Amino acid sequence: MANVKFDNITVRYGSNTVLDNFSLEVESGKIVCLVGPSGCGKTTLVRALLGLNKPETGTITVGDRILFDAKKRINVPAEKRNIGIVFQDYAVWPHMTVVENVSYPLKKQRRPKEEIRERAMRALEQVHMTEYANHLPNQLSGGQQQRVAIARALVVDSDVLVMDEPITNLDAKLREEMLLEIRMIQKRLNATILYITHDQQSALQLCDKMAIMQLDGTLCQYGTDEEIILHPANRFTFEFIGVSNFIPVVKNGNSVALDCGEMIPYADAIPKEVENGGFELGVRPNDIVFDPASPLKAKVDSRVFLGSEYNYFLSLGKKQIRVQQSMLDARTKGVAEEGETIGIRFLNTRFYPAQKGGATA
Amino acid sequence: MKQYGGVSAELAAVDGHKRLNMDKVMTVVCFILLLIIVVIPIVMIIYNAFFNEGKLEVDMFVQQISEKKNLEAMWNTLKIAVFATILGTIMGVFYAWLLGRSDIPAKGLMRALFNIPYMFPPFLGAMAWDMMFNGRSGYINKWLVSIFHLKSMPININSVWGIVFVEVSYYFPFVFMQVVSALERMDPTLEESARIAGAKQGQVILKITLPLVKPAISAGALLILTTSLAHFGVPSILGYAKGIYTLPTRIYAVIYNSGGSFDGIRQGAALSVMLVVVVALALVLQNKILSSGSYDIIKGKSMRPTLIKLRGAKIPLFLLAILTLVLIVIVPLVMIVLISFLKAYGLPLTFKNFTFAQYQKVFSANGTIAAIRNSLFVSITAGIICMFLGTLVAYVVQKIRPRGKGVLEVISMLPYAIPGTVLSIGVILAWSGRIAGINLYNTIWIILVAYLARYLSFSMKTSSAALLQVHSSLEEAARVCGASHTESLADVTLPLIRPAMVSGFFLIFLPAMREVTTSILLYGPYTRTLGVQIYSLRDAGMIPQAAALATVAIGIIIILNTIVTKLTKDRKGV
Repeated sequence: MANVKFDNITVRYGSNTVLDNFSLEVESGKIVCLVGPSGCGKTTLVRALLGLNKPETGTITVGDRILFDAKKRINVPAEKRNIGIVFQDYAVWPHMTVVENVSYPLKKQRRPKEEIRERAMRALEQVHMTEYANHLPNQLSGGQQQRVAIARALVVDSDVLVMDEPITNLDAKLREEMLLEIRMIQKRLNATILYITHDQQSALQLCDKMAIMQLDGTLCQYGTDEEIILHPANRFTFEFIGVSNFIPVVKNGNSVALDCGEMIPYADAIPKEVENGGFELGVRPNDIVFDPASPLKAKVDSRVFLGSEYNYFLSLGKKQIRVQQSMLDARTKGVAEEGETIGIRFLNTRFYPAQKGGATA
Repeated sequence: MKQYGGVSAELAAVDGHKRLNMDKVMTVVCFILLLIIVVIPIVMIIYNAFFNEGKLEVDMFVQQISEKKNLEAMWNTLKIAVFATILGTIMGVFYAWLLGRSDIPAKGLMRALFNIPYMFPPFLGAMAWDMMFNGRSGYINKWLVSIFHLKSMPININSVWGIVFVEVSYYFPFVFMQVVSALERMDPTLEESARIAGAKQGQVILKITLPLVKPAISAGALLILTTSLAHFGVPSILGYAKGIYTLPTRIYAVIYNSGGSFDGIRQGAALSVMLVVVVALALVLQNKILSSGSYDIIKGKSMRPTLIKLRGAKIPLFLLAILTLVLIVIVPLVMIVLISFLKAYGLPLTFKNFTFAQYQKVFSANGTIAAIRNSLFVSITAGIICMFLGTLVAYVVQKIRPRGKGVLEVISMLPYAIPGTVLSIGVILAWSGRIAGINLYNTIWIILVAYLARYLSFSMKTSSAALLQVHSSLEEAARVCGASHTESLADVTLPLIRPAMVSGFFLIFLPAMREVTTSILLYGPYTRTLGVQIYSLRDAGMIPQAAALATVAIGIIIILNTIVTKLTKDRKGV
């Protein structure tokens, strides 16, 4: 029920700068997913919020409470920050039973015994672990331990709940269930949840807003999931969320061509600045449609049925591109056969300055 | 939010800085304690070996290391250590394989029995063998002479080979225990794949099994080597009479003969430098010969390895194993007990010569009771202090990771490679009134200080290994759940490493109870330890009384060990 504000946070490990003047504001009562590749500084940011590391610069506030301020030399110790956390490796204490684990935060708040018991059991109920209350963690599976960790984070009414990849060790079905559960818990408590993941799929399912972090530790986009999918701020976001094809765009005489090992003329409308080449065309596999009338021809290398869609690899010139065809489209227009040459059209194209080395997806 | 909302940021900030200070305090305490316990004695040895009254003086050192007797002692030390290591390693690996991987009968029992030689104090073993095969008066020797009408004693245990034999008997478990556990944790599919690929059983053992347990063998062999190089008890009991010296016994002789004068101690310091150099060379050499990375194939979880059928060799090998145990455990034990009932040493072992008088003497003499009390006191105190100090050092090294943690680690491990005799001399030099006027000489405290230095690395190692298992997120989770730094240590970290701390305590307490090497140089008139008392009784010719006290000591050790095994079995499986 409080917003979280990172302002100009810098964290260094030795000479390695992980976060450089990082700023982000998480609105109160929202689930915000912090998404980024492994090693981009997500966990470092969270540790700064929890008080487990000490930034060199900046401030961190939760609601109107300053947790950290480098200039004013304020650094509230971890135990006084009132933030719930579900660690990536559960961090369930192996020498305590499940209920002892969950009761611990309440014990540290010196609550009456009956209240501790009652609230701990309620938290266990929320994660469907009541029957395991008196088990030791080593008698539980990884998924069950993770749920104990979630219960432990829920048991106190924290201002903010941080979840660091909390469901990676669950199987697909349980993962789905836990995501729904987290959503419901958030609704009920109206808590602010900062959810960290490198898995964009669960991020999309869960969050109100997404913060995309780049490998160098900078925030490259913050917005709703629709905004991020439909209007990626830059090439990194575009590439990171979802699958993408990249094809170099070059100037070939007076016209524009796609450089696919051979020059393939490209007649569709393009922004003015792209006309001189030096760009790459980015397009998602589900934004490529089969159109017999299109002058752009590609050969079908392979086709795989994935249940709700078909996945194709096509050769465009000497370049392989990926295409997804929805079931609806396949039913109405039919599928392409392997070996067939077929016309394709790019929808929702984007153009980014060409990268050195020409890395393409 | 509700309950903490009112806490002013400034107040909280003060608390936040306190946390950092606590880490710093722990680090500084570690450095200071290690400086006092470990660094000062070692520096004192080096200083006194080369300096006299503040002036560089190498003459004494040069004279010591060029003296023939000392060179001989060095040569003996090396010879004994090398042969004890080679033979002990072969024996340890052989029995480890036999008990770990073959279908030899009564395996559980055999495993338990093969751990006994480890508990058996080697110098008591040496005493027993001396009683049987002394070149002049050994009981079995005399018996053999009378039966076979021999002209001279057939076996002379008072020789370099005798010393090697006794050391091998009690040191092979170092290799045995390491290898047997490695063999049991080894992934059996590795061997099975070799069989499937067409290798014969013998080839599998030589080309797959042995190379895979090489790190374990190497670790055990290193233990034998360093222990043997530093060992005092066996060579002194078996070699003294015949003038066979090793460096540790030579150091003792030099100091003893000089009556504990400062010159004698300085000469001892010079010899100590020599011994340390020998140990260091041996370590380097061993590293060169046996160096190998540890393999990741040894899995933490236990699996059931396929057992190799011995077929026809089963019964003979079983008998061999039993015979070995009888020879190195039962026979010496029986011998000591028998002698302890004798009226006087040298009398034939017949019933009419038996008496309880020796035990009466043992239990009525003030000296012996005091010795048992002293040993219990120093062992328990050293065990407890080391348990906490070792854990503190381990915590600082593993979790706080301050600048200079490498130095800290090396310092705490240093005494592990430094012979007990050498350490004693360092402690004498440091704490007999030459630093800040602190004189602990002739008090029990000097023995305690030496034990602390000697055994600190034991508890540090076990606590370190346990702390590595405690992921830092466990402590962090406690902090975030509202526990202060101290509370998180008390509620999470300490309970998790408590079993390791307890076993660290016993790892120190048990060997300290029967220790001679260190205390032999440090005891005063009223501060004899159990080991020293047995040693001096025997030295004074009161062999039956020494045997009686040895029997009592062995009894105490067996009782303590049983308690330890019970305790460690019952603990919560964390």
